[in-house]
Amino acid sequence: MSIFSPGARHALPVMLFLLCGFAAPLLAVIAFSFVPSRTFSLWQPWTLENYAEIFNSSSYISFLWSLGLAAATVVILALICYPVAFGLARVFGKYATLITLLFTLPLFVSENVRIYGWILFFIKKGVLLGTLESLFGYAPESILFTTGLTLLGMVYVYLPFMLFPMTLGVSMVPQQVRDAAFDLGATRWQVFKEVDLPLAMPGIVIGFLLTFVLAVGAIAEAKVLGGQRIIPIAHDIEIAFTYAQNWPLGAALSVLLMLVVGTFVLIVLRRFDLDSILGRR
Amino acid sequence: MNDFTQTRRDFLKNSAVATAALAAGGALGMRPAAAARTNELNILCWEGYNSAQVLDPFRTSTGATVRAESLTNDPTMINRLRAGETNIWDLINVNNPWARKVMFPEKLIKPIDRARFEPYFDKMLPGFKPPYKWAMDESGQHLLGMAQRFGPFSFVVNTDKISRASAEDQGWDLWNDPANDKKYGIQASDDWNVFDLCCISGFDPFREHTEEEVAKYTDTAKRVFKGARMVGDLATMNQALVSGEIDFYLTGGTYSCSPARADGNLNIRAITPLKGPMAGGKGGISWTEITSVVNNPNLSTHAEDFLEYVQSPEMSHTVAFAEGTFNPVTQMGNPACFDLFTKEELEIIQWDSLEEEMARSVEYDIVPDYDRLLDIMSAAKREASGA
Repeated sequence: MSIFSPGARHALPVMLFLLCGFAAPLLAVIAFSFVPSRTFSLWQPWTLENYAEIFNSSSYISFLWSLGLAAATVVILALICYPVAFGLARVFGKYATLITLLFTLPLFVSENVRIYGWILFFIKKGVLLGTLESLFGYAPESILFTTGLTLLGMVYVYLPFMLFPMTLGVSMVPQQVRDAAFDLGATRWQVFKEVDLPLAMPGIVIGFLLTFVLAVGAIAEAKVLGGQRIIPIAHDIEIAFTYAQNWPLGAALSVLLMLVVGTFVLIVLRRFDLDSILGRR
Repeated sequence: MNDFTQTRRDFLKNSAVATAALAAGGALGMRPAAAARTNELNILCWEGYNSAQVLDPFRTSTGATVRAESLTNDPTMINRLRAGETNIWDLINVNNPWARKVMFPEKLIKPIDRARFEPYFDKMLPGFKPPYKWAMDESGQHLLGMAQRFGPFSFVVNTDKISRASAEDQGWDLWNDPANDKKYGIQASDDWNVFDLCCISGFDPFREHTEEEVAKYTDTAKRVFKGARMVGDLATMNQALVSGEIDFYLTGGTYSCSPARADGNLNIRAITPLKGPMAGGKGGISWTEITSVVNNPNLSTHAEDFLEYVQSPEMSHTVAFAEGTFNPVTQMGNPACFDLFTKEELEIIQWDSLEEEMARSVEYDIVPDYDRLLDIMSAAKREASGA
């Protein structure tokens, strides 16, 4: 197709829009990662010092926390969401819509508000501990501001992003295939392993990817519920861009995060057929 | 292709109409923007100035569209101007040293009319009489903005757990006492955290530091962050103090604990140490906001009017008690303004000890080796989490 073809000409506005709105900011971030530390202009000799600084610092701790917590979130959510997705697609029947609504409603409330709600729930003399103390005279230590609660916050916030693609995936499995497997003598475990899981995999993989990519960039859960007991990489990037006034360092951290997440996503997508994941079978 | 019923000719025709409509819309959108500088005002500020109580009377009297965006740290606001938003904002409201030491030298703000505004400084509390250092440029020629909210800012305690007298006496050593491990929080406010870690280490933050001092600072940062029950924002800190999760928190003052006091928790109190490592043996640090006119090539005609408007006795009182946090204001030096404060309001902003606390404090300044100290602190914070 020549660039002068009508198709290309009509695609031009959209291409320009994407270039300006999507590619240009990314390119600016990448370019900034190569300018000298704590400077604000792109028009100067470029350097690798920001990357050297990151590799010589303890930034790896933040990367590991972000990747580790995101992976843990994905695993926990997979275990929680699969049974719920199965129920929504096959068991709950007319109640499925109501249950879906219950999972969707919290999305209408800002994430920060929901997280502060958990603070009120878990804080000393709050909903949980206050009730335990007044009803049973039992006053355990508060679990607020711990890594465990950060993880709980992430699982809570990202649940819909795993649940809905997974539900789509599970509902893509034809009931006839499952029936046929049972008729041919397959056990429940065999049907799950040989039929349900492989055929629902497109939805499951999209759920995994979506949750993982969002959770790697999570910041509010560790800041609020975790009391900054851990510093995820997104928080390091925020500090670099604000208090530290070090845009190049923040840009270099962002580029590395994009590379790590991008590589992971590419590896996963190479294992699974993109066409089947997008439903073009 | 069967479900796409439009012909190519229709599509081209519709595209042309849509493009023309977009272009017309764009042109319409541009026209008011270009002509609206007499009828709009954009303010970048700390919370309070963006409240309806402050802005609505100005909107009504001028008919102007007033947009105010609130952020909670100075560097981010200045970043916005550096990133080219000087042609958007008309006023910027940040803490004392930034106007004089950063924004004016970088040509991000411009001077205001001395003859028009110095009479307001004359009416302020004694510490702000003209020429007030932080409102002037280094040469002392140009007036760079108006001072309004201020306050001491060191730390906050629950006086049911630690008495005011003992907290003032022990001062920064509260964080050098191993018995206090996990009894305190840290309000995340990175520049102030750096100041406070210097104070805990026993030296003045606002000067160049020796290698030995930096080594001591590094140890202090690691120890203090490891010993913190949590790090968070001021709402989390106050909530944790009131509920008993913590007994005291680092980096706080009238500004941060006033919402808890306004809620009836008068046992939550900002403390300024009796003594400390700063010039003259002072133990506290204070802040004063300076609101400046942005060096906007197409400045709103309302910019200076707004600066004048918020200095009136009524509006000064409103600014002091606008939503968010509650703070003393410089115009409390004017009896017409002071008389508007109720006994409860004075209690919330700790008026009883304000003068002595300000006298015990040095003013927020820029730390010469801030970048290095901040990097050390960020690493200490991260490594505390790694442990």
